[in-house]
Amino acid sequence: MKNHQRIREHRAGGVRRNLAAAWFALVGSFAALAAGPPVDFQRDIRPLLAKRCFACHGPDEGSRQAGLRLDTFDGATGKNGGRTGIVPGSSAQSRVFVRITHPTTPMPPVGERLSPTEVDLIKRWIDQGAAYTRHWAFAKPVRPNLPSVRNQAWPRSGIDYFVLARLEQENLKPSREADANLLARRAALDLIGLPPAPEWVREFVDDKRPDAYERYIDRLLAMPQFGERWARVWLDLARYADTQGYERDFRRSIWPYRDWVIKAINANMPFDQFSIRQLAGDLLPSPTEDDLIATGFHRNTMTNPEAGSDPEEFRDLAVKDRVAVTGQVWMGLTWGCAQCHTHKYDPISHAEFYQLYAFLNQTQDANRVDDTPSLKIGGGSTLVMRDLPPDKLRVTHIEQRGNFLDPGAEVQAATPAAFFPMPGDAPRNRLGLAEWLVNKENPLTARVTVNRFWARLFGRGIVETEEDFGTQGSSPSHPELLDWLATEFMNSDWNVKAMLKTIVTSATYRQSSDASAADEERDPYNRLLARGARYRLDAEMIHDQMLSVAGLLSSKMYGPPVMPWQPDGIWQVVYNSDQWILSSGEDRYRRSLYTFLRRTSPYPWMTTYDAPTGEVCTMRRIRTNTPLQALASLNDPVSMAAAQRIALRTLDEAGASDQARIAYMFQMAVGRQPSPSEAKRLLALHRDAQADLDAESSQKLLNYDKVLYSSDREIALVADGRGKASSWQYTTQDPGDAWKTSAFDANAWKSGAGPFAFRSPAAQGSAESPAGTPWDSEQLWMRYEFDVPAGPLEDPHLLIRCTGGFEVFLNGVRAAASSIERTSYYKYAIDKPAIAALKPGRNLIAVRAYRIGEKDRGQSIDVGLVAVRSLGPPDPRRDQPARAAWVVVANTILNLDEMLTRR
Amino acid sequence: MSSDYSLIQEYTRRHFLERCQLGLAGMFLAGLNRAAVAAETNPMVPKPPHFAPKARAVIYLHMAGSPSQLDLLDYKPELIKYNGKPCPDELLKGKRFAFIKGVPQMMGTPFQFSQHGESGGWVSELLPNFSNVIDDVTIIRSMTTEQFNHAPAQLFLHTGNSRFGAASMGAWATYGLGSENQDLPGFVVLVGGGNNPDGGKSLWGSGFLPSVYQGVQCRTQGDPVLYLSDPDGISRALRRKTVDAIGDLDKLQQEATGDPETAARVSQYELAYRMQISVPEVMDISREPASIHKMYGTEPGSVSFANNCLLARRLVEKGVRFVQLFQWGWDHHGSNRREDIRYDLPDRARGIDQPVAALIQDLKQRGLLDQTLVVWGGEFGRTPMRENRGGVYGSFMGRDHHPHAFSMWMAGGGVKRGLNFGATDEIGYYPVENKVTIRDLQATVLHLLGLDAFRLSYPFQGLNQRLIGPTDEATLIKGILA
Repeated sequence: MKNHQRIREHRAGGVRRNLAAAWFALVGSFAALAAGPPVDFQRDIRPLLAKRCFACHGPDEGSRQAGLRLDTFDGATGKNGGRTGIVPGSSAQSRVFVRITHPTTPMPPVGERLSPTEVDLIKRWIDQGAAYTRHWAFAKPVRPNLPSVRNQAWPRSGIDYFVLARLEQENLKPSREADANLLARRAALDLIGLPPAPEWVREFVDDKRPDAYERYIDRLLAMPQFGERWARVWLDLARYADTQGYERDFRRSIWPYRDWVIKAINANMPFDQFSIRQLAGDLLPSPTEDDLIATGFHRNTMTNPEAGSDPEEFRDLAVKDRVAVTGQVWMGLTWGCAQCHTHKYDPISHAEFYQLYAFLNQTQDANRVDDTPSLKIGGGSTLVMRDLPPDKLRVTHIEQRGNFLDPGAEVQAATPAAFFPMPGDAPRNRLGLAEWLVNKENPLTARVTVNRFWARLFGRGIVETEEDFGTQGSSPSHPELLDWLATEFMNSDWNVKAMLKTIVTSATYRQSSDASAADEERDPYNRLLARGARYRLDAEMIHDQMLSVAGLLSSKMYGPPVMPWQPDGIWQVVYNSDQWILSSGEDRYRRSLYTFLRRTSPYPWMTTYDAPTGEVCTMRRIRTNTPLQALASLNDPVSMAAAQRIALRTLDEAGASDQARIAYMFQMAVGRQPSPSEAKRLLALHRDAQADLDAESSQKLLNYDKVLYSSDREIALVADGRGKASSWQYTTQDPGDAWKTSAFDANAWKSGAGPFAFRSPAAQGSAESPAGTPWDSEQLWMRYEFDVPAGPLEDPHLLIRCTGGFEVFLNGVRAAASSIERTSYYKYAIDKPAIAALKPGRNLIAVRAYRIGEKDRGQSIDVGLVAVRSLGPPDPRRDQPARAAWVVVANTILNLDEMLTRR
Repeated sequence: MSSDYSLIQEYTRRHFLERCQLGLAGMFLAGLNRAAVAAETNPMVPKPPHFAPKARAVIYLHMAGSPSQLDLLDYKPELIKYNGKPCPDELLKGKRFAFIKGVPQMMGTPFQFSQHGESGGWVSELLPNFSNVIDDVTIIRSMTTEQFNHAPAQLFLHTGNSRFGAASMGAWATYGLGSENQDLPGFVVLVGGGNNPDGGKSLWGSGFLPSVYQGVQCRTQGDPVLYLSDPDGISRALRRKTVDAIGDLDKLQQEATGDPETAARVSQYELAYRMQISVPEVMDISREPASIHKMYGTEPGSVSFANNCLLARRLVEKGVRFVQLFQWGWDHHGSNRREDIRYDLPDRARGIDQPVAALIQDLKQRGLLDQTLVVWGGEFGRTPMRENRGGVYGSFMGRDHHPHAFSMWMAGGGVKRGLNFGATDEIGYYPVENKVTIRDLQATVLHLLGLDAFRLSYPFQGLNQRLIGPTDEATLIKGILA
């Protein structure tokens, strides 16, 4: 085939030298040869002009050269006054053609020359009349008819007709269906982000009904974990994080928004409603609490409270970000480019950017430390959108060169003119904008959304540039399929689960992902879909799968973010001494989506595997393959704990023979039986490991659970107010000097549990602080007697949250003191003399807390004392190399490419 | 259009397939030359520059918080005359400051300056060792930036964008050039001074570039690279055996599935294994002779800027492309003793003076200075006025953030030796000669590496993103090029 020759030529020549140019030429030649004589403007010419010409001859007047505009017919032919670049029907008379073929100074002036193929395309296009048709993505999708195919037996759904028709055109055949085990794993990872439980796989494989697979898919779609998986997809777009970003990167509470997303997805909220609530839930008639929480979507912008920052500067940045993200997420367009100047490639002018800005410019939030407005819910709060009162509305101006200090003409809220108009009666506010985005006249929202679903299920979108459906984006590999899916989605009234089911039950999705060298050579990226998709799993999936197959993963949903084990020293941020405090109990092994995400210091394991930091909207993650990933998976103690758990379970549950154990362990982790050669190799490794280990190293390998995951070793000697709080004796009258010693008689004191906090009269008895004890005096003295168990204790420390100052005494000896305000629980080391004063049996903790600043600021204190029981004497079952060697085997299996791959 | 990264992947995959057809699988099974295979699939393999480079590597010493140029490198006798006098109105009009309120007083330097070397550059008494190497250095006293808060200014300097999400200079360098040592990360970051810099890890992030190009923070305590140590209970020998087993099992899979990614992953595991040896080796400065320790003032096992400078030399010597040091603690506002120009700046200066001088001398004596560009500076300057936080003066002395003018120096690969470049007005408020912008600096650093900053780009969000931003306002600092 000619195409192949060309690919080879390019590989031999330019690929290394200039990848981009070579690729472009390759696409161009590919298209030209496939197209035959008539030239298609959208497919062949527009991308070429966009890439090579529009930067100087595009929509942006500011950068236009020689008065020539090539993005419209009128511009190119000089109909609106500019230079005439193209004479339709005559390339010889067209200045554009003359210039691109100029022997010494050809256009474009920078970059490589146009290839002969490209020049020929432009020549033929001009000679054929230089027709300008609209960019495909800006025209409303029309439901295409299903194409006819020769192999009538293969298609299961509409999708398959489009895919098969293309394959038959290329003389290719689809692959066989993937094996049931593998299909079960693939669908589970794609739909719920976790590997399937062994019994589901068994039930599915044993289910001989014709619709067994559909039933299996329905089961997955109904699971609560489905919402967690697809919430993570959405949170990438929402740039969700648990901190404000920028220099200080303080914590913020917006996790209720994350929970809302999970719930909405699990409830299968139609995508139009899902969108409207997030963009404008507060503007709905009588909004519910959930509608308000949903507006957290655009409150995920960063806040910079650094001294000297102009609050307006960062508010302006936040609004621009909201405009850009709205364009990206719903319409797949890079509106952000137009904040400084008219978009060079797509139809959005500088003024139109600020018309969109005007929709989003009326909210109350500003760049403030306290992140107002927020909504009080339950025991916490979450950031929400609220409009300014009608008399305080802002006036929006165009910002010259995007500079907020340099306002230009005033603009009114409006949608870009290149698209369908807003209905006349629609409100000119966020609600109107949201409804416009999900209006079925909108050519992009449905396409962009189904393309995202497709990309999360096939590793690559039908439009590869998920973030750019504009003229600079990639062309769809299957344009009609995209439109079929988009219209199907809208016709179903935006039914997300139905859409996903349609895709994953297709024959296209069910294909085996195995590929011969010839397949790889012909279509290395699998653009034609002649086989199933195969690519590295997302960071969260790798992590959650590891915990899941080991039986460690907690199924607990929702709630404040958690802090699982991470290496020391990750959180070191200037002017913010906040700490990573290991969560206790099952919160140490929750799904990754609940892990605390600090923008400037994200959980390192996640970023190593390409998870985003929440600083910007991430439309698609770039998958890399680096040695740092190997180091994390091989050496992270969490991964070792999972390996150990797998080993112990295997020893307990499998037969006594090594063969049986290998088979059991492999099945547990990989979800299939090992081949004889695989089993043999692992047995050899087990022998090698056994020979290498001694009692001491075995002990280490078999104790990871105790080191990392056994919260039964952790004892709350004094419980803080978050759980079953300890009841203190307290007084607000100065008790003199002896109060901190056990000899002191505090019987006259009152008793109460933490947190002790000032409550404004308005907040008294409200949901704001339901538990605890009121404290409104200047000072507070507290005493509590607790028992210390016999036996050695490790790492005794205080966990204190205090706005104000405090000092703590243990058995009369000073243990810690601080006058730095902490709005979250903070780990305080105990001074050595105080640790020495701790003794088995009865002990006394005494705390004095005091106000700093004004009473109304909300003074509070809550104190806990925590220690960890030592590992204790070695467990004889845990020092045997024969047993410990299984941990090594499990660590190896967890690192197999197959474990890291969606296949 | 497709992203360059896909192209790289595509290239790698194809390349792999070709090799497979040529019998790579057989080579694999025979256990031959795994390292060669790793290099073939690694996007960090050396890539040809746009033109002949002057420098092969960069050591960038960033003084986070921004040291006072007026007390270190930019001598202003006139300012000393105005010391304690109210600041003229025209300097305050329309200006933004972080903390200065009302009309502050001018503040002359409390330190002595003198001229040094053949170049006769003025340097403060706080940098006696640096003064001795001044004839190997170009001092730029006319730097200017657009940002006046730490995080945005650091981001602007290192990523070309004051907001988060863009790619850092070191990431651009490795994206453009790869790295010369495949057993070490191509872009290494060393952080000192007790805190991460204000802009956080984004300052060495890859932004929109593939994450393989992000800087790898090597820590001087604990594991030098996260997760580098073998886990408790697994010896080196046993780790070797597990990596072998992973490779063998993956290979069996690849025979069945034909996925070239699998072979690429095996090579990354091999590279990881080699890094486990090579990184601790290069990070272990205890093998350096006593004379070197004396020269830098290093102490093995401690955490110091001196140690980081010596590490930088060792890394560059091993072929690492870009080494970035961050030293925090230069934010001398004067709001307490720790931030006082008189008390703390001398300590901070002492902490870096001997090590930077040693670094330059050491690179020179090894013949590395010609191929290595050393850059020193903060993210902006400090005001000629004394800061009066809240409109009042306390007992401490300091200066506020000053974006309009500051000083930096560069030495080595492709930069003139013994040059005093640019100047500010008589009180050091604005540059008046050879103004150098951050864009100019970025374009020049890339230029010295053999990269055309105007051409080096990556498509993202509809733009061909570049370190120097979308507009062509950057110009090479021609006057400093050797």
